[in-house]
Amino acid sequence: MADTDEAAIHLPRDSAPMDTDLSDETQDFRMLNNISFLTDGSQLTLPKRGEKDFEPNPTLYQADILSASRQAMHNALSYPRLHHPRNQIVGVYAPDGPAPPPSAAGEDTQLKSGAGVGIHPDSCVYVPIPRGQFFKTMGQADRWNRTWLLPEEALYLLERGSLDIRWPRSMTGSDEEEEGSEGSIEDSGIPMSLQAAYACFIGRGGLAVERFTVYSGLKRLGYTLIRAPGWTDEEEAEAEEEAPEGLISRGPGLAGILGQFLQWFQSPITTAAGPVAGVGIHRSYNDIYRKLAIIPWHNPVADPSPPSRTHAPYCVVFHVYKPSTPFRKTSPPAPDFRIAVVNARTNTTIPTMSQIGSLLDSTPFDPPKGEKMERMLYLRLRQGYRSIILAVVDQGVVSYLRVADAGFGKEKLYAAKAQAGNKRSGFTRPKPKG
Amino acid sequence: MNLEPSLPIPISYIAGNYFVFSIDAVTYLRREHHICGVLMGTLPQCPQQNVFLGLPLELMPEEARLLVEKGVACIVDEIKAQKHGMKALMAEDRKKYLHELESQGLQAMRLQHSRKEQQKEMALKKIEDKKLAKAKKMAEKQATAETQVSAEETQADPMIDLFADSQPSSSTPAQLASRPASIASSSANVTMGVTPATAHPPLPLKPADDQLLPLPEVPSSYPLFSHLHAEGYFLSPGLRFGCQYVAYPGDPLRFHSHFVVVSYEWDEEMDLMDLISGGRLGTGVKKGFLVGGAEKKHKDIGEQKDTVRTFSLEWAGM
Repeated sequence: MADTDEAAIHLPRDSAPMDTDLSDETQDFRMLNNISFLTDGSQLTLPKRGEKDFEPNPTLYQADILSASRQAMHNALSYPRLHHPRNQIVGVYAPDGPAPPPSAAGEDTQLKSGAGVGIHPDSCVYVPIPRGQFFKTMGQADRWNRTWLLPEEALYLLERGSLDIRWPRSMTGSDEEEEGSEGSIEDSGIPMSLQAAYACFIGRGGLAVERFTVYSGLKRLGYTLIRAPGWTDEEEAEAEEEAPEGLISRGPGLAGILGQFLQWFQSPITTAAGPVAGVGIHRSYNDIYRKLAIIPWHNPVADPSPPSRTHAPYCVVFHVYKPSTPFRKTSPPAPDFRIAVVNARTNTTIPTMSQIGSLLDSTPFDPPKGEKMERMLYLRLRQGYRSIILAVVDQGVVSYLRVADAGFGKEKLYAAKAQAGNKRSGFTRPKPKG
Repeated sequence: MNLEPSLPIPISYIAGNYFVFSIDAVTYLRREHHICGVLMGTLPQCPQQNVFLGLPLELMPEEARLLVEKGVACIVDEIKAQKHGMKALMAEDRKKYLHELESQGLQAMRLQHSRKEQQKEMALKKIEDKKLAKAKKMAEKQATAETQVSAEETQADPMIDLFADSQPSSSTPAQLASRPASIASSSANVTMGVTPATAHPPLPLKPADDQLLPLPEVPSSYPLFSHLHAEGYFLSPGLRFGCQYVAYPGDPLRFHSHFVVVSYEWDEEMDLMDLISGGRLGTGVKKGFLVGGAEKKHKDIGEQKDTVRTFSLEWAGM
């Protein structure tokens, strides 16, 4: 039977389920129903990957399973976002950005202009009574004790059902004298739907969909994310001439290696004048190897050139912190990862050498450290001296790539071999027999 | 489940992307039109994972265009619609909407409350049963002669221990539930706040004409996309798997994909290395590597026949 053959083929793969990323494939939503998320959150374990069939056949059996799967998906997706009054967090949408509360606006004209001080100008939702764990890593408090949220923070919280955002009175029309809910002047009492939240927040202040996809995807996994300076790409500096000569004048940066390489091509070392290693008596292999190293290589440790400008999308937009990193939003520590977000639909080619070069130049020097790195060559090469994570988003599907500046030229294999002697050590010190 | 949403389904255009927010529309498109899209939202009931995602559904421009061409959907400028819609909201509409939400919240609270009660009852019943069983066992044991103690007791003891162990764990939720019972029963009449998924109501379902947008712009791979779709395949974005689309023979919920798809122009030169690496990639994951494109006809502009040709490659030497 064909099916048993199929099963046999799949067997070896299934025996190593640890490497399969569940989120890589469309999951059977029936598995979600096994999670008793309503009872208590403590026993939340994700389901195993569901069994799939090879191809559709006209059996009722298969049709039934499929419709059950779809039903489960329907049920899971129609789960409402509810806010228990005991822990409901209410936010108000401020379409015009940070502003002082209307009650304070009249009392001081100076105050009004200085209201945005310290608050990110892209913030557009304020929470009058902030409480709960989320505000440890999100939001900025103003002097009236309201916490302002950036569009991605507000949208993420609303989407996970943790924040109830209200339309402001200024946007809901028909502004007659009506009893405000809880006496608030701006809160219209009308909750904002998910659809409206997407319409209001996506595209606001540089929040492209792909950036939000990356943000919420990593937030769901427990990482802390904050905007990096590269978020806004100033366009006035765009006018600078770039391209051809930029490549050569770039100096010892990663891009500079290209220029050196070109020079090396133009003045090739020929063997016409004798052997490359030079004439004479050679007493050590290392000397010969050193003389044979005629190809210029990029030294990641060399003094960095003044970092060239990065251009969107190849610039750092998020600083990411592991859940274990102690994080204070008032003074964020050095990030664990830096992420650049690329939309695969608008950037269909891999980045050029100069794009990657200037992107890497914009990240801090982070050489491989530690005993393990010193001992293991390949770990060291993988770690690199600067690194960046590219999040490539193809219509909501994210692939993460880590690009590192590996110092291959620095690892002199001929010099290392003698002392490492990992495989040969058995020969140099034979075990005594008997 | 087999609800038929009123057509055409509005597809929200927000900052260059296409979204569907209505759950009925999502299941309908999947069931009737083989359009799956990519779920990109957080599931509120299970928010700290990436395996199962929720609304909204992000559509590829190809998918949106296909649906519009079929007359199933229309593209709505969502930002404009929201702004105008909220401004134009009448006071009575607003009241009605708020009232509706309130009753929803009330219902949700009651549901949750009754579920809690049910669980409490179940837990209590369990304990009761166990107590009964235990008492029965004790009675039996006492009744039996003390002569055959040793062997049997050692066997029975772990049984009792097991029950004893499980008892506190099952009783704690019951105790917890019973404690705030008085509070809970009073709060059953308090409404929950509700964040609806779609903006309708209060906004009208039918978008105004000035909010409609023209056909989405699609990449040059669109003819191949619509051809495969017409052949019954379900397509999803494929860059993660090293291709343009992944083609599934049936709903990806239940079936593995058969092809990794890359589109070419009819006269485009192919790099042999691309074919080799594509073929190896596809075969390595038990799929076929499928290339295709629309055939250029000789100046027959009026002819709208499906002229897409496809080829699949398999790596035989692996």
